[in-house]
Amino acid sequence: MLAFLIRSLEAAMIFTFAGLGELVDQRSGVLNVGLEGIMLFGATLGFIAAQTTGSYLVGFLVGIGIGALLGLLHGFFSITLGVDQVVSGMGIWIFGFGMTTYIGNPYTGPLGLERLPTWFGISPFFFLAIIMVAVVWFLLNKTGWGLSIRSVGEQPSVAEVSGLKVARIRYLCVIFGGVMAGFAGAVYGLYYNPVWNYNFLMGWGFISLALVFFSMWNPYLLFGGAVLFGLLWQLSLNPQMFFPGLASRYIWRMVPFAMTILVLILISSKWFRSRWGATTPEALGKPYYKE
Amino acid sequence: MTVAGYHIRLQRRTNLPGWKAALFSILAILFGLFLFSLIFWQAGQSPREIYKQIFGYAFFNSYGLRLTINRFIFLAFASYAFIIPYRAGLWNIGMPGQLYLGALAAFGVVYLLGGKTGEMTASQPVVITLMVLAALLAGALIGGIAGFLKGKWNVNEIVVTMMLNFIAFNLVAFMIKDGGPFMNLGGRGESFELPEAARAPLIAGFPYTLILVILLMIAIYLLFARMSLGYQIRAFGKNPPAARYAGVNPFWISVLVFLLGGALAGLAGYHYFAAVPGVYKIARTYGYFGDLSFYGMICGLISLGNPIATLFVALLFGGLSIGGRSAQGKLHLGFGVDYALMGMLMISLVAFQFFYHYQILITKQATPATARQYE
Repeated sequence: MLAFLIRSLEAAMIFTFAGLGELVDQRSGVLNVGLEGIMLFGATLGFIAAQTTGSYLVGFLVGIGIGALLGLLHGFFSITLGVDQVVSGMGIWIFGFGMTTYIGNPYTGPLGLERLPTWFGISPFFFLAIIMVAVVWFLLNKTGWGLSIRSVGEQPSVAEVSGLKVARIRYLCVIFGGVMAGFAGAVYGLYYNPVWNYNFLMGWGFISLALVFFSMWNPYLLFGGAVLFGLLWQLSLNPQMFFPGLASRYIWRMVPFAMTILVLILISSKWFRSRWGATTPEALGKPYYKE
Repeated sequence: MTVAGYHIRLQRRTNLPGWKAALFSILAILFGLFLFSLIFWQAGQSPREIYKQIFGYAFFNSYGLRLTINRFIFLAFASYAFIIPYRAGLWNIGMPGQLYLGALAAFGVVYLLGGKTGEMTASQPVVITLMVLAALLAGALIGGIAGFLKGKWNVNEIVVTMMLNFIAFNLVAFMIKDGGPFMNLGGRGESFELPEAARAPLIAGFPYTLILVILLMIAIYLLFARMSLGYQIRAFGKNPPAARYAGVNPFWISVLVFLLGGALAGLAGYHYFAAVPGVYKIARTYGYFGDLSFYGMICGLISLGNPIATLFVALLFGGLSIGGRSAQGKLHLGFGVDYALMGMLMISLVAFQFFYHYQILITKQATPATARQYE
């Protein structure tokens, strides 16, 4: 039971890392639906780097680095070139999906390094995730930087007039989003599920994206949602714990995805939106053209 | 920016003539192919040789051409499945799930008629009609879920279709593995083989689904060019609030485009598992075909949602992925060259989106006074 809870919290921390980056990203007005692709890249290249050098540190750094690069690429497409943000994000996802399948294939199999140490059975990354949630909340809501980010995401033209560099702020946020996604991918590939297989992320990037919508762009709600999703996911992977002998394993494997859809429906409903107050960044998904 | 007396600046386009759009799409494909050739270059092969080999196998080798056409039919259905919602401004990335369910439904018909145990007595036309209808219906149903949720509660269709893909993937595994009802009695983790009467008839060596592809192209073209429904879909895609004021019902448009898209993806599943010669079963590697259907997204985007242009792109990509696979085998490259191709084409396509929106103006610098005005 304890192992089950710990596993759920560890899944939650991965959703949290990826979701926090995307949250900041969206707060500045840039939607990145290519989260899955960045996470796949972070997981795959981090895995390969760690396996070839034998060092976890290198693996994580590579994951973060590739995440930053892909974030920059998304920024270049969507901010500088003014490409539709969904098209660009989809492009990054398919790029990640296709390339990691090709690049990672020779490395199919377990990582073969000693497991990362834990504190009382739970990964230290979990505590890092909690700290990050608080830090991001504080930065967004209590500092001048946060105000700049939010204003760029609400009314970019007004922000520009009041002296903010819209493009620069958005670039920084997109790169931050990429770094967090790359890191989340690396944690997945190096710690949570250190057995490379093609597309082994199983849509976790898309789930993290859904969590950002769920969170109403509030880091604390994001974390709460991540824990909920982590629990549901683990529950459906270990049905025998609660419902022994019921239905095939393939049927149970559908459950987390079905749960995701149900939760999405719930959070998209008027009831939920009005209860928590929808705060969609006004300029989300709209390219900004300096006149 | 001024370079050597010439003034270079960017201007946003207000409209884009068709021939220019086509030109940029072709350039995007060529650039994608250039990126793709880097893989072979890295493996020590000259790109020219490789492309000679890829195209030679895909289009000028009678065995390879057959594979290319079969894959082309598949990609065409998958592209149609993407295009119709795309014209309404909605993203269908649920082609894999829709095609799995289409295949399952088609096999379900044969199973119910006793085809698994060899007791099927129904005649070929009846069986095949039922299979196609079942595939259309099943694809439409799973696609329709996303459309319904989008229309009713504005639930993000990208995430929903992605989740449905995983659900459908596991449903197929449940049906064909571990003693599922469709399991091959040989127990190889694949479905039972279709009996003779359930196999699609061949016309000149190609499955009859090729004709469906052409007919559907005409139908989709007419839908968007001539029919009021197509006009409503396009209007909704361009400007949803304006369309709503003009009397377009957003709920019905969302549901309808996903029903149509899903049905067409269902046909893609029917085609690959029940109409391609030599297959006639849901293979153990069915997930590969689900992944391939994402090529449909690239075809649809690169042809800007035009069903006629899509066909040419689908033919090209079908050939490239078949030829790439063959070259991969000959050169002992890693698995997944066709996945890499997909990634390269997609990223190139995104980069070229820039040219759809901007044009680069290069003018000779006149007098210093006017030049200063621009800067």
